[in-house]
Amino acid sequence: MRYFIALVFVVACAPLAGAHAFLDHAEPKVGGVVESSPAEVKIWFTQDVSAKESRLKVFDAKGDEVDRKDAHRDPKNHSLLVATLSALPAGEYQVRWEAVCLLGHHTSGKFMFKVKTKDR
Amino acid sequence: MIPSPAHAHGFEGDRFFPPTIQTEDPFATDELSVSAQTFNNPASDDGPKTRELDMTTEFVKEIFPKFAVGVSGTYINLEPSKHTSDGSDPLPSQDGFDDISVSVKYQLWESPAHEFILSLGGEADLGGTGSKPLGVESYTTYTPTLYCGKGLGDLPNALKYLKPFALTGTVGYAIPSKSSDSNALEWGFALEYSLPYLQEHVEDLGLPHPLRDLIPLVEFHFESPTNRSGETTTGTINPGILWESKYVQVGAEAVIPINAHTGSDVGAVVQVQFYIDDLFPQVFGHPLFFGGDK
Repeated sequence: MRYFIALVFVVACAPLAGAHAFLDHAEPKVGGVVESSPAEVKIWFTQDVSAKESRLKVFDAKGDEVDRKDAHRDPKNHSLLVATLSALPAGEYQVRWEAVCLLGHHTSGKFMFKVKTKDR
Repeated sequence: MIPSPAHAHGFEGDRFFPPTIQTEDPFATDELSVSAQTFNNPASDDGPKTRELDMTTEFVKEIFPKFAVGVSGTYINLEPSKHTSDGSDPLPSQDGFDDISVSVKYQLWESPAHEFILSLGGEADLGGTGSKPLGVESYTTYTPTLYCGKGLGDLPNALKYLKPFALTGTVGYAIPSKSSDSNALEWGFALEYSLPYLQEHVEDLGLPHPLRDLIPLVEFHFESPTNRSGETTTGTINPGILWESKYVQVGAEAVIPINAHTGSDVGAVVQVQFYIDDLFPQVFGHPLFFGGDK
C-alpha cells in the first residue's frame, strides 16, 4: 500500500507533458471587471498549445466579434494565447477559446468580462 | 472552429465531467481506476454482521469512436463480527475475488452547447469467475443501463454561480440468469460542484491550489428489487470530494446506508483514477479503430 500511495504522489506531481491544456488564468480575469477597455486579451494555459489550431476570439453582447482577428500564440511562451482589441465601449464581453495541445487533444471554454468605461 | 476534437477525459462542450466513484459516468473513454471501499454488512439469516473491504480495479478502452469496453475485478476481504448473537465461536475471515465484470458503453447523443450526454450500455457480472468460498454468484447477471450527464453551464449569467453544478445519473435493470433471484432496478446519480469550472469559466476568485482543483459531490446509489414481494430498496448516500490533477484524480467519500437492510454503520471509499490518456497520450485517449488522425 505504501508503494501505491508513493506512486500516486509521484504521478500527481510529475512535470510530464500532458494531453489536455486547461485555462490557468487570464487577463482580463475570468468574470472580472476592468476600469477601461483593455488593449488585449491574454490566456495562459496549463501547458503549451498548438499555434496553428488554437483559437481566441472576443465578442460583444450582440455577438459581434470585437478582437482584431489577430489571435496568436506568444512566440516566447507557448502556453499563452493573445488577441488584441479595438477600443471597447462599456459593456459585457465574452471570450471564447479553443486550445489544442501539441498531441492533438482539444479543450474549449468561454468566459465573460466587463468594461466599465471606454477610455483606455 | 476546430474539426474532430480528440477527447479522452469526459468532456461535453466546455464541461469536464470527472469520473465519479459510485455512479458510472456516461463517457466511453479510456479509464484506469483503483479503489478501496470498506463498510459493514448487516447481520442476516446467512450470517453475522460482517466488515467488508473491497479493492477494485477497472480498465476501460475506447474501441471505436464513442464505444468502449471495460473489465473490472474486485478482491474482497470479509471479517465477520467477533460478537455472535448466540454465543458461538466467531467465523474466520475470508478473502477472494468477486465475479469478474465486463461492460460496454456507447455515447448515443450529445449536445456540447448544453453540456448534455446520453449513453447506452450495460455490464455483465460473469457468474462462477469469483472465489466460491465467498459465496459469489455462480450465475451471470446482465444489467443494461442508460447513462446521462448534464452540466448547468448554459444557465443565464444572472445565475452564474450555479453554472459549476453538474448531474450525472444511471438507470439499469439487473437481470440474473438464475430465475430464482429477483430482477432489480439499479439507479443512482451524482451531484457535483466543480471549482475548476468556476475558476475557468465563471469567475476567477483567486482560489489557490489545491482548493481550485476540488470538486465536492454527493452520490446516491440504490437497488430496488422489482419482482419479489417483501424485498426493499437498499442503497447508500455518499458525500465526498474529488481532487483533480493533470494525471490523477483522487476521490474520497463516506458511504452512508439509507436503511438497516443496507447496513448499520457509515463506511468509506477512496479511489484513484489514473488519466491514462494524459500519462500515455500516444497509446490512450483515442479509439483503437477508426480514431482518425490524432
